[in-house]
Amino acid sequence: MARCDSARFGTIDYEEAAVVHFPDGLPAFEKEKRFLLIEQAETSPIVFLQSLATPGLAFIALPARLVDPGYRLELTREERETLEIGNSQELVEGEDHMSLAILTVREGQAITANLLAPVVIGARSRRALQAIQADLGYRVDHPLGADAAAGGGRTCL
Amino acid sequence: MLVIRRRAGEVVLIGDGVEVTVIEVAGSRVKLGIQAPADVPILRKEIQLAAQQNMAAAEGVTVASVGRLLAALGGHTQASKDTRSGARAPHQ
Repeated sequence: MARCDSARFGTIDYEEAAVVHFPDGLPAFEKEKRFLLIEQAETSPIVFLQSLATPGLAFIALPARLVDPGYRLELTREERETLEIGNSQELVEGEDHMSLAILTVREGQAITANLLAPVVIGARSRRALQAIQADLGYRVDHPLGADAAAGGGRTCL
Repeated sequence: MLVIRRRAGEVVLIGDGVEVTVIEVAGSRVKLGIQAPADVPILRKEIQLAAQQNMAAAEGVTVASVGRLLAALGGHTQASKDTRSGARAPHQ
């Protein structure tokens, strides 16, 4: 059991198994290599990524498929190598990897999800990266619940 | 914006030290070779977009924003069980 400080959660006790390694960090946060993946029953389905090096740095994310049920992910050979996912292997969400869309929640603005650059975590390796999906037309600021709002009249999103 | 037509193998020069070669054109993809001084950053635009979005996202992680998000999710929250990860944090 190890311990880290965070601005959002206070002091956290964690097991090494909960640590996700970003060998190259994240764009704009290249030096941040280790994050804690936090899922709490009371904030489900939100997933938190808490930096182990910087208490003030955390991200809020949702499973990409929750934002867009038809979400498709493509990984390059290099990305598969980093995540330790076999090259010929068909990607199975939730089995060999997990895709998370980082959310941006700014006051007075719509909540958006980054579907262009999902955080992809290798299930076995616990290594992660932001995998740019340049070819599929996804946005860095996909409005959360846009479809639901259009179809079901929910406006709070 | 300056628009130039080039074929595979042809080159565009930018400023003193930057050389862009069209290596291959295949379908909707173009393979470029770029030669530039070490101090000239070369970045796929999407990486820059991701970087800017990451910075914006990192600012918004507050108790209030989590509350707002949960309210927004109300409709399609799934009852998923706690901590696949094994990390537990004190609830605020």
